[in-house]
Amino acid sequence: MIETIYFEEEVFDHPTSLHVRKALPRADWFPIRSYQELFNKRHQNFRLQKKQPELILAKKNSNFVLPIPAGFGMDTSRNFYFSHMYNCLYDCKYCFLQGMYNSANFVLFVNYDDFFHSISVIKNENHDASATFFSGYDCDSLAFDKISGFADHALDFFYQHPDINLELRTKSVAVGALFKREAISNCIIAFSLSPHEISKVLDFKAPSVARRLNALKNLARHGWKIGLRFDPLIYFKGWEDQYSTLIANIMLDLFDENIHSVSFGPLRFPKKMYKKIVSHYPNDQFYAFPLEEKNGTVSYGSHLEIEMRCFLERELAKYVSEEKIFQCVLH
Amino acid sequence: MNYCNTVTMGGNEIDSLIRNRIEFCWVVALRAEAVPIIEAFNMKIFSNDLLYPIYLNQDNGHALIISGVGAIKSGAAATFLKVYLSIQNYAAWINIGIAGYFEDAKGELYQAIKVSYQDTGNTFFPGMRFSRILKSEVLRTVGKPQKDFSEPALYDMEAAGFCEISTSFSCNELTYVFKVVSDGPNHSSNLLTKKSVSNLIENQLPKIFEISDAIEKLVVVEKKRIHIPIEAQEILKTIHFSVTNRNVFINTYRRWKAKFPDKHLAVSEFAMYSPKQIINHMEKQLSSETDSWVIQ
Repeated sequence: MIETIYFEEEVFDHPTSLHVRKALPRADWFPIRSYQELFNKRHQNFRLQKKQPELILAKKNSNFVLPIPAGFGMDTSRNFYFSHMYNCLYDCKYCFLQGMYNSANFVLFVNYDDFFHSISVIKNENHDASATFFSGYDCDSLAFDKISGFADHALDFFYQHPDINLELRTKSVAVGALFKREAISNCIIAFSLSPHEISKVLDFKAPSVARRLNALKNLARHGWKIGLRFDPLIYFKGWEDQYSTLIANIMLDLFDENIHSVSFGPLRFPKKMYKKIVSHYPNDQFYAFPLEEKNGTVSYGSHLEIEMRCFLERELAKYVSEEKIFQCVLH
Repeated sequence: MNYCNTVTMGGNEIDSLIRNRIEFCWVVALRAEAVPIIEAFNMKIFSNDLLYPIYLNQDNGHALIISGVGAIKSGAAATFLKVYLSIQNYAAWINIGIAGYFEDAKGELYQAIKVSYQDTGNTFFPGMRFSRILKSEVLRTVGKPQKDFSEPALYDMEAAGFCEISTSFSCNELTYVFKVVSDGPNHSSNLLTKKSVSNLIENQLPKIFEISDAIEKLVVVEKKRIHIPIEAQEILKTIHFSVTNRNVFINTYRRWKAKFPDKHLAVSEFAMYSPKQIINHMEKQLSSETDSWVIQ
């Protein structure tokens, strides 16, 4: 559990900070000027920090909402993402956050209302088109929810704005906040999934795939729209059978009408990010696989990617209508 | 780069086997603070002729340097130790000593997890917390002995200089500052003697041993991550690699070894190969395995 909380002095009495204090009553609090003085420091060791990450409470001052990066998936014209948090409770070996940040510490931006205000502004500027706002790009949307209380705030806001959509992307089974309320039609709970055989090796600290499936099916029964995210697709011996079994298990008692969308994408990293991640795992078999570099992106290469894409499309088409299936493409 | 060479400086010799074994580098301001640590870890004087006195125990991997008082001296001594003994990048760096404290807590050992330098305003956040062993506190590094303890913090004269330099030798998570409270509002530093300073440190040795065990676990993890296996070192010694090819070779070798832990890259077999040929040889073997790639 988190033992140390650093806080920007101006957020000490913020309601979110008070919520955190209740959730982590034994943690020691230390003041800082700005989260960057700790989070962006040089010579941090991501892997060692990941053994015992600390929490930084901060106020975000700008860039609350951004257009989604290329290849994030979901083929709608107006897609944005926002990050109320940097870094994740889980420690998935393929996670790109390891290559993005110097630090494995968690940063929680406590001023949720400023994010929602920015979303309102964007909504008003784009009143002729529906927009989707993705949470869970720089963190897991729900994994930290018992501490952050973020989901309730986000759901309250989006309930009042039914013409825009929210995606909460997660591997978490901490979905209590969602069961306490009626499902909201413009909110998608998107679960990241991979076959059990590799998830048990690569998704360190994350709930098992079985528990995730249980959570997503319960949410579907409760009326929530479910997103299925197979991103990244991992190549290994027997991957066809494993993905086929996974998809069959998901769809066993889940119906097309429960599913908002399905997206999948190959394992891929920007070159610089890949080099940094590999330096964390120089002796690991997962990163020993001979990946290819093309146009600044490191991936399995087009041959394997096409093979995996075609297979996934075929498998998914058995259960899900075509218009709900999206591919996260390389750019 | 040579891996099994012998460094001769100031009449002392230290070979790479010793250098590779040093995992703890203690940087201590005063001899009185250092003596309990030197004795606890059975270190012996390495040389009296150096800029700073250095103590070593080659068997348990501890080295200690006495810096003198002040932040600049602390940073300089750490640098001297790093360079003089060619300390590897996985070693832990530890500054330990006495400090003033705003409360009456004489004799208590603290881990400084935020260090501010009064002179520059710079801040450092050394180490990972060992909250099960000892309490943590904010520390201010000041230019002269403190009489005014108005801020709720520890006060010392070295830690910020030490942190400024040492974090770049390994990493922030292997840089540590520990302080025993020696003075405060009700205990003047004027009353401290060499003996009382040594006693303050000595009384905390049980915790210091616990800390050293905890740090060692982190050092082992980092050593495993960055250590270049002997087999690869032998190839690098025998065949000339450009700087770029050297890095490519090391990275490829590690991937190759991760996939084929039972295979070997014997120097005799590859002595006539160019660096690129060796790298290609390993890449080819990796590529031949993709269809049967297992993740475990």
